[in-house]
Amino acid sequence: MSKWLRENLWRHAFATSMCIFSLFPLYLVVLSSFKSGGSLQLDSFVPKELSWENYKMLFSSPKIPFLSWVKNSLIISSVVAVSSVVIGAASAFAFSRLKFKGKKFGIQLLLLVQMFPAVLALSAVYVIMERVYSFAPSIGLGSQAGLILVYLGGSMGVNIWLLKGFVDSIPAELDEAAKIDGASPVQTYWLIFIPLATPVLAVVCLLSFIGTFNEFIVARLFLVEMQGRTIAVGLQQFIGGQYASNWGAFAAGSILASIPIVIIFLSLQKYIVNGLTAGSVKG
Amino acid sequence: MSSIFRGTFATAIKIAILAISTAILSLLAQSAFASGESAIGAFLIFAIVALNFTYFTKFSIPLKFFVPGILFFIAFVIAPIIFTVVMSVFNYQTGNYISKSASIEQVLILGVESDANQTTFDLVSGKDAKGDFAVLVSDIANKRFFISTQDSITDINAAELTINEYGVATTAPGFTTTSDSELAINDAYSKIRYKYQDGYYIKIEGQGVGAVFRQKIAYDAKTDTMKNIITGETYINNGKGNFALEGSPEKVLTPGWRTPIWFENYTKLVTDTRFRTPLIKVFIWTVVFSTLTVLSTFSFGLLLALALNRKMRGRRIYRSILILPYAMPSIMSILIWGGMFDSEFGAINNILNTHIAWFSSATFARAAVLLVNLWLGFPYFYLICSGSLQAIPSELLEAAAIDGANPRQIFKRITLPLLLQILSPLLIASFAFNFNNFNLIYLLTGGGPRNSLDGEVAGATDILISYTYQIAFSRGMNDFGLASAISVIIFLLVASISFYGLRKSKVMESFG
Repeated sequence: MSKWLRENLWRHAFATSMCIFSLFPLYLVVLSSFKSGGSLQLDSFVPKELSWENYKMLFSSPKIPFLSWVKNSLIISSVVAVSSVVIGAASAFAFSRLKFKGKKFGIQLLLLVQMFPAVLALSAVYVIMERVYSFAPSIGLGSQAGLILVYLGGSMGVNIWLLKGFVDSIPAELDEAAKIDGASPVQTYWLIFIPLATPVLAVVCLLSFIGTFNEFIVARLFLVEMQGRTIAVGLQQFIGGQYASNWGAFAAGSILASIPIVIIFLSLQKYIVNGLTAGSVKG
Repeated sequence: MSSIFRGTFATAIKIAILAISTAILSLLAQSAFASGESAIGAFLIFAIVALNFTYFTKFSIPLKFFVPGILFFIAFVIAPIIFTVVMSVFNYQTGNYISKSASIEQVLILGVESDANQTTFDLVSGKDAKGDFAVLVSDIANKRFFISTQDSITDINAAELTINEYGVATTAPGFTTTSDSELAINDAYSKIRYKYQDGYYIKIEGQGVGAVFRQKIAYDAKTDTMKNIITGETYINNGKGNFALEGSPEKVLTPGWRTPIWFENYTKLVTDTRFRTPLIKVFIWTVVFSTLTVLSTFSFGLLLALALNRKMRGRRIYRSILILPYAMPSIMSILIWGGMFDSEFGAINNILNTHIAWFSSATFARAAVLLVNLWLGFPYFYLICSGSLQAIPSELLEAAAIDGANPRQIFKRITLPLLLQILSPLLIASFAFNFNNFNLIYLLTGGGPRNSLDGEVAGATDILISYTYQIAFSRGMNDFGLASAISVIIFLLVASISFYGLRKSKVMESFG
């Protein structure tokens, strides 16, 4: 056996088998989405037919308002992503650059509270929003606006923490220079910090978008109406009935819904890995 | 440029934004107070004051950056957490969901009994000569006809009435019949207790039908007791949100109300075997599940990172494929795996050529959960490990090699200990994350298999968080009080694990 084989064979063998493991479910979904019968069954590894039926069904069947699910997910996730970064950036800047009393306490509280799993406070959020519904139905339980408010509140801790990490990594010399030149903190923020931090803010914004897009459980509890659901809730409910015949359409829907997320994720890989080592775990 | 941020233009924008938010918030506060939600109303007032005070005075510059974030944080993070802690000392559950006054009202409405013969009458709804709600009742068996209102009953001679072929009076002098369509939308008619004899009254039970009832239960506000007027039995406030029969405390009037029961939810979890046994079972599986997940994802990730930790052909392709499970929206992947494990139509049985009902057997369901979580999790540790491997100074490894250590010794004595030291906070964070990996369990197995026919709430794959969700939101059981108590316990557990991790990683020391 040559030296090359001895040193590299196990590497390729192991990596290849893990790649097969990784790809298998994804390949299966792609196969199923082009199959007219609807189950996640493996008839053969090679596609036997190429049917667009499932994709057509998504856009025409009244049973699956796929387009309105996509719209809802896009609206909710973008509003949450943008607003939470706008609100969070200001707090992160203050935590990172300003000196004030109670700063240490604030950061520790933020950390501590972040450890309270959101799902556990769910019954409380539910009861609170139920009460909000009693006087303002348009922002209470069951409304998209209410869901956005809950997400915004929930994302605050994580986002401030994440943004603070990024802000810390931006060199402080520039805004110190601005300070010496007589700029107020508010001016430093808008004129120095924001232009410098724009790429970072965009990354956090996209991460927050992915996170909200992926959120299932609050959305499930909040959005009862078929038309008002997000993709995650809609598709889950769609196969929740355990009808094997729905898997084809589900496969098509999940592919369409996943492609943009996968693209965003792969293009942000570098930042995400950096963010990961800073201690945050993707949900 | 700076004129945008200073000067009249900026001031105008600031005032406009503040005015709009103040207007919206005050409107909301007003309607909150109007419908009795004073806590929410008070918070909204606080928000208005905080916003205007911060942005119109020079009290504190940092606060100008914090206020919007703080308000959201208080409303949707702090408040729910405090509320959870408060609920955990309440009996907040199905049957005790409403306030005490609403409960008394309900008990009184339900505390009626029909007469011995369960008499029903044909009747017509309408209004009497005075314009009060009234019913024209036909007691066909006794050939008696009368108009009854809330507080009067007037017999009417059959000769004065129009009587249809079934012997039911349809019109009477001075009585205005209300149309069916009006009755359908106005429930005021059916809410009234129309007077009858001997303390009984008539209640509309359906279209054109009334039944005879009398009040059985009465409330005595002075002694805070409920009394059965007919038998004389007394129901006393048991201090746990119900009125219970004197002498036999298990007989309670429903619905009850929410009231503090202090540490009962907590003690129930410790002393009552019906709650303790499943909780311990679920806790053990939660720890086993998180530990095995961290071990398996870490070791596969590390092995991959080691395998690909050198220049070799196809490394970039491997990397982009291996990262895919992590890039996919996890919800979609979990649902897809769920379909693959389907016993009849799933690909797994297909390939293995077996007929295993994966999610009906505890062992298979647990194996499936671990396998899926390995798929979801190993790319994370692969990415982390390959990054960290490069961070280990190569001089160290070279020095060891010069000293005659073989690759295995180098890995065991140098690489692995160093990696573990670098990654221990991440391993702990991953443990904490999986400890609460709700989506995986809920979407893959739903916590099952569980024997729900026996009233079992804890399934074989339920982890603490999904078990809690089950207690709070599953069909037929909404025990928010107990769920909150478990939540508080989980929080304390996770917080101590994480704090240990943070202390180790020395993050806490860097706060300045």
